[in-house]
Amino acid sequence: MHSFRELLQYSYLILSFARRDIRARYKQTVLGAAWAIIQPLSLMVVFTLVFDKVARISTDGTPYPLFSFSTLIFWSFFASTMTQGTLAMTSNATLVRKIYFPRETLLIAILLSAGVDFLVACGMLAALMVFYGATASWTMLWVLPLLGIQVLFAFALVCLTSAIHVYFRDIGHGLTLGLQLWMFATPVAYPLSVVPEGIRSLYLLNPMVPIIDGYRRALLYHQTPDLPRLGITLVAVVALLGLTYFTFKRAERTFADVI
Amino acid sequence: MDGRPVLAFDNVSKRYRLKRGWHFASLREGLSRARRRLFASNGASADYFWALRDVNFQIQRGESVGLIGSNGAGKSTTLKILSRVTVPTRGTFSAVGKIGALIEVGAGFHPDLSGRENVFLNGAIMGMTRSELERKFDSIVAFADIDRFVDTPIKYYSSGMAVRLGFAVAAHINPDILLVDEVLAVGDAAFQAKCLNKLAELREQATTIILVSHNMTNIVQHCNRVLWMDRGTVRAAGEPEAIVEEYLQSVQPQKASTAGGSVIDDDAPVRVASVVIRNHRGEADAPLSYGSAGCFEVEYEVVAPVPDAVLGVSFENAYGAPLGGLTSRLAGIKLDVSRPRAVMRLVLDPVIFTRGLYKLSVSIQDEKLQRFFDVKPRMTTFTVDGPSLASREVAGHVIYPHHWQQDGDA
Repeated sequence: MHSFRELLQYSYLILSFARRDIRARYKQTVLGAAWAIIQPLSLMVVFTLVFDKVARISTDGTPYPLFSFSTLIFWSFFASTMTQGTLAMTSNATLVRKIYFPRETLLIAILLSAGVDFLVACGMLAALMVFYGATASWTMLWVLPLLGIQVLFAFALVCLTSAIHVYFRDIGHGLTLGLQLWMFATPVAYPLSVVPEGIRSLYLLNPMVPIIDGYRRALLYHQTPDLPRLGITLVAVVALLGLTYFTFKRAERTFADVI
Repeated sequence: MDGRPVLAFDNVSKRYRLKRGWHFASLREGLSRARRRLFASNGASADYFWALRDVNFQIQRGESVGLIGSNGAGKSTTLKILSRVTVPTRGTFSAVGKIGALIEVGAGFHPDLSGRENVFLNGAIMGMTRSELERKFDSIVAFADIDRFVDTPIKYYSSGMAVRLGFAVAAHINPDILLVDEVLAVGDAAFQAKCLNKLAELREQATTIILVSHNMTNIVQHCNRVLWMDRGTVRAAGEPEAIVEEYLQSVQPQKASTAGGSVIDDDAPVRVASVVIRNHRGEADAPLSYGSAGCFEVEYEVVAPVPDAVLGVSFENAYGAPLGGLTSRLAGIKLDVSRPRAVMRLVLDPVIFTRGLYKLSVSIQDEKLQRFFDVKPRMTTFTVDGPSLASREVAGHVIYPHHWQQDGDA
């Protein structure tokens, strides 16, 4: 409870870190914020070539670029919060070593700054939807709670991974690879329906599955997400968050000694 | 002194891991260490280092406490615990009030951001709010004296400007407790004076100040109590001048240990052999007296006769600040190199040093002062008796022969 009240006092610091991250990211770049959409856009092009033109995956009539981009931007958001969040303590090592402040402010700031990039990408998605003549629907509002769960999940994970990274740099090396494998174990580039029945139950253990699948249902197919599964995911995420946040707060007291 | 301390260390101990910069460099090492710990119960203590052991002290509101001690004594660890950057391994630390730290000022600067952006960022890191920063912004910029460059990225600042800006932000935190770590050493003389004024101002507002410094003059001038730390414990605590003197006496033997060796190579043609200091009564190794004569007898060896060798003698105060020196060249006197051993005397009449401890360095140079034949830095020390001048009063250690005149006097 004490840490939440303290966190509130430091809300200005969170905003300041977020602003620093955003400003610093695009200083001395020519393309600036365009970089925020170049990454998901190029993945979309690659996926379109591989999954649409070569593998000819069925998307129930949705143009494949739109089909993949509608989930890619959410995944990119997730992946960048994971990557930057995991490295947050060590990339601010001088601060952590010298000055006291609640360390999770760095993590929340990254959720915010990555969120700005994500918003830019959302604009791109909207343009793409208009281009392909997709229609609007109330189900699209499901994106907000889905996004909420995703952000909580990412925060819970980086509480753990950033603390581990202080002690073991291995996690930084494994992260990029892990996230790539994880993306292919999540229905980002293909529909859930192509997952074979035999491994379906195993596949569904991935908490990102109902979230990513949910975005696509809500945005492209005017459907509600798989609510029972999403409920389980939510409970699991909240439990995980409680655990990892507590662990993080315990560990942060001696970050300065080991970082 | 109103009863309850604002800062208290209660049996505080702090342990660090020793190996590889105090953390496991990789998962593999961590795992192997864990396995060793499981299967071998002994020998684990060798991996650890106790930076603090059972440290106890209490600091009252409004006190200015100096923390002194040689490197590795535990000052930085103490500061880290005080600033809540880390926690004690054992024991408890308690604090009442807002703590601000002037530790490595500018640690939170981002090189790509402008001075203005960095003021807000750095202020936020130190716990200031937006409105507070907006209110103090002009004063911060004025203090740092960088107003022309507020919108320039910090990376184009000179290091002095960046440090000034960092200090300016920190100086505006207005905490209840301020931790200061050696920052008084930054900036030019004018900026240092500004910083010292700020410290004095904060002290007047009953801010509790903890000052860590190797500059004993600053410690004596700005603290009303000193904690002397030694190998992780508090060795002594009390009145600044007494503790500082005791501390300096204790580190003296090590510093003056160069008496045997020369910093110049062994085949120097002329070498300083020994030095004897006599007071006005001719007594060796007795304190000199302010206002009376003092004699410095330097014996030197001549290995190979070189022409034009001159003797240099220079003085430092106990804290290592140079107090000037003399060479025999000034009087046009060269060393006598015709004999293998000879003595040259420097007589100061009168001795103008104030009471205290001084260090003596001796050198032999060629007449053009371009080449050192021998240098014996801090070869020996001597004490001076005389009027006790609180070092608060004069920022030096000599009283020049002088008198004052004021308009209107006869």
